Amino acid sequence: MAENKAYEKPLPEFRPETKPYWDACKKHELVLPRSKVTGEFFFYPRALSPGEDMSEDLEWVKASGKAKVWTYAIHHMGPTKAYKGDPPYVVALVETSEGVKMMTNIVDCDPRDVRIGMDVEVVFDDVTDEVTLPKFKPVK
Amino acid sequence: MATKIPGTKEAREVLKKNKIAIAGVGETEQGKIPDKSSFHFLSLASKLAIEDAGIKKSDVDGLVTAFSLVEHTFMHCTTFADYFGLRPRFFSSIAIGGATAVWMAAEAAMAIASGQAEVVLCVRGDNTLSGISSSGMVALIREMCHAEFEFPYGLTTPGGYALAAQRYLHDFGATREHLAAVAVTMRKHAALKENAMNKEPLTVEDVINSRVIAEPLTKYDCSIISDGGAAFIVTTEAKAKELGIKNPLAYLWGMGQGYSHQYLTTLRDLNQIYNAIERSGQKAFQTAGIEHKDVDVAFLYDCFTITVLLELEGLGFVPKGEGGPFALEGRMEIGKDLPVNTHGGLLSQAHLGAMHHVVEAVLQLRGTAAGPRQVKDAEVALVHGNGGIVSAHSTIVLGKEPL
Repeated sequence: MAENKAYEKPLPEFRPETKPYWDACKKHELVLPRSKVTGEFFFYPRALSPGEDMSEDLEWVKASGKAKVWTYAIHHMGPTKAYKGDPPYVVALVETSEGVKMMTNIVDCDPRDVRIGMDVEVVFDDVTDEVTLPKFKPVK
Repeated sequence: MATKIPGTKEAREVLKKNKIAIAGVGETEQGKIPDKSSFHFLSLASKLAIEDAGIKKSDVDGLVTAFSLVEHTFMHCTTFADYFGLRPRFFSSIAIGGATAVWMAAEAAMAIASGQAEVVLCVRGDNTLSGISSSGMVALIREMCHAEFEFPYGLTTPGGYALAAQRYLHDFGATREHLAAVAVTMRKHAALKENAMNKEPLTVEDVINSRVIAEPLTKYDCSIISDGGAAFIVTTEAKAKELGIKNPLAYLWGMGQGYSHQYLTTLRDLNQIYNAIERSGQKAFQTAGIEHKDVDVAFLYDCFTITVLLELEGLGFVPKGEGGPFALEGRMEIGKDLPVNTHGGLLSQAHLGAMHHVVEAVLQLRGTAAGPRQVKDAEVALVHGNGGIVSAHSTIVLGKEPL
């Protein structure tokens, strides 16, 4: 892919409560929010724990980066014109070793080889100067 | 045996006392109709429902609308009241995706029972097929997933349902044929419905061999996009008599909602979806005081083939994982075990949320109105709507006789 070509696919718009997540991604670190009150991880990041505790006392914990494919869909059509030429690509819901689910792409692998239950690990895709998307690839 | 859902006794008393019913319905033509705007369809559908009830426009004192995918309004109900020339004393816009139409009936009932209105017009209409811009379509897809944590991965709306379908196939060993069979039955029914958009016969092979959208789903696993409008009028038996409404009434026997999640990211497992569908259904079943065998015809939200199987199973018509064989054996067809979506549904008739599902349920209960699609001796109908990616659910039960 031409490095200088503008990235025209949808990008996340950061919110105050999600910015630490994206800042860590930029440093190629996957962090997950956890309530200090209940000790439970949650995802996606929110300003208050979505648990019964409703706590704002949260911490960002470095994740193992290990996950299993919970389900996946091989996309033959993208949501915008910017995806032209990409399909087939895999959008997957993976369950991390910390027990949360994340939507992601499975990369570095033939879409036909993706299976539910497959072990995957995080890789970082620096899609723009500001945004790095964590994606997952099969564990060799 | 399902667990007892709280509040059903109270709901039953309210519905029984007020004898709330759907007394008029209207459907415009459906399909690609580029010369009509969103508010044109809303107005036409409203007019048809008012004429069907045989009442005056000024008899309508309540209005429930939803939203438009084309005309972005902040206050949809009052925007339409202004356009159509209505002066409602009760007005509300409901925006819970595909769960909306079913819940309009419930919202109208609650408004009537609490003295806010007596004759409530519930209407949806949109020129989605002709009027939506490509940026509007992208905005819609973005709306269906988490804009920050899902959309940047290129997730589409069919893709979201494909994620659910893939897991379903994995958990139950279901097959592509099972999903495809749903689309085949809907198409058979659509052939009998005057205003259905797609009527050409369809086979399981046609569905499987159609263009792949998001594996495991192909083109015919996905609902159509259409232009059109539909409306229904909710009132009480007493008010219907006072206004001289001659239509056989379709009485509201029960209603319920069930919430699972908004974003698939926060979904724990398929059971979470089943539980939400079950809660929605059981609230309606228990309020109505009926069992599954009492339901003569069912209307299940069929934005994608997978949802029909999840709803059949979650509502408890068949055990989990057995929806596929039920569909493949043709048991959802008119004249079989449980006729489902006798109008052809979102997969083949038109896509206006579950508006047509509600309208067709009323026509079925009138006894002869559904013509060649008439389910013999239909006395009880169930309608289930699902919004988001099988996330928000609503169910109503309608009966031919008062509760």
